[in-house]
Amino acid sequence: MRKAVTGLRAWLVQRISAVYMLLFILLLLFHFFLDPPHAYLAWHGWMKNPGVSVATFVFFSALLLHAWVGVRDVVMDYVHPLALRVSALVLLGFSLMAIAAWVVRILLTEYG
Amino acid sequence: MRLSIFRFNPEQDEKPYMQDYEIELEPTDQMLLDVILRLKIQDDTLTFRKSCREGVCGSDAMNINGRNGLACITVVRELKEPVELRPLPSFPVIRDLVVDMTQFFKQYHSIKPYLINDESAPEKERLQSPEERKKLDGLYECILCGCCTSQCPSSWWNPDKFVGPAGLLQAYRFIIDSRDQATQERLDDLNDPYRLFRCRSIMNCTEVCPKDLAPSRAIEKIRLMMVKDSL
Repeated sequence: MRKAVTGLRAWLVQRISAVYMLLFILLLLFHFFLDPPHAYLAWHGWMKNPGVSVATFVFFSALLLHAWVGVRDVVMDYVHPLALRVSALVLLGFSLMAIAAWVVRILLTEYG
Repeated sequence: MRLSIFRFNPEQDEKPYMQDYEIELEPTDQMLLDVILRLKIQDDTLTFRKSCREGVCGSDAMNINGRNGLACITVVRELKEPVELRPLPSFPVIRDLVVDMTQFFKQYHSIKPYLINDESAPEKERLQSPEERKKLDGLYECILCGCCTSQCPSSWWNPDKFVGPAGLLQAYRFIIDSRDQATQERLDDLNDPYRLFRCRSIMNCTEVCPKDLAPSRAIEKIRLMMVKDSL
């Protein structure tokens, strides 16, 4: 795990994704406070807005990248045997990719 | 005063144990080191390192009531009883309060703690302005006692890969030395998932440094330099 995934890149990804997520959540709460959707159709209509669904997709990308760096940090700290560490990281990677695929599926089928 | 001290003699004991001591404090007992030196009259098998007795050599670094510190500058009457003394956490114990500092020094050496300047040596000294010299304040004073590194959880989990607060503080000391020319190599050497980036600003290091230095600030400054470098 040397220069390929440098420490600096992971650290930056974690912080930049955190900033985006914070802004997204704040704007989301702001929106719900000012213009709450009263029924499913209103919610659906709002989510269909390309700006909203794209921003939501970016939010989940940021969340999954953030989770990857965070859990990878925990694994690197505590799991020392190489085989176990690689397995844990591979499992993590596949789980996050599966969640990403699921998010894409939801956004495309529901709000495409 | 009641004390409870970590004892372990690998030649005799199967495993470590805590031994209780009781001693009358005398007016001349100001610091913890004064007390444990007098404890040796009661029990001369008690083993610990000490040298300067004034907080500049770092020999008597130990874990005092859960916090690392130097016994010679820890005011004894301010300690909660029974005073629990343990060796520096996570370092291999040689005997009682004496620990093996090999790994600690290995990390220190790995950051190349010497000036790297290939220009031919000047007649007198390599000049440095007062402002440039001021940047070394808070960095050069490190006595390599090990209090910070042995209190750092990231060092506990990866002592062989994470450089540790003391090493990183010294790395920064050379990175911002205006006379050093290997700045880029020093920054590249630390850009690795383990060497610097195991640090997540837990800040135990800054809290326990007996010389009031701030390794976490030095590490943050290195990170910012790396970011500036990459963007």
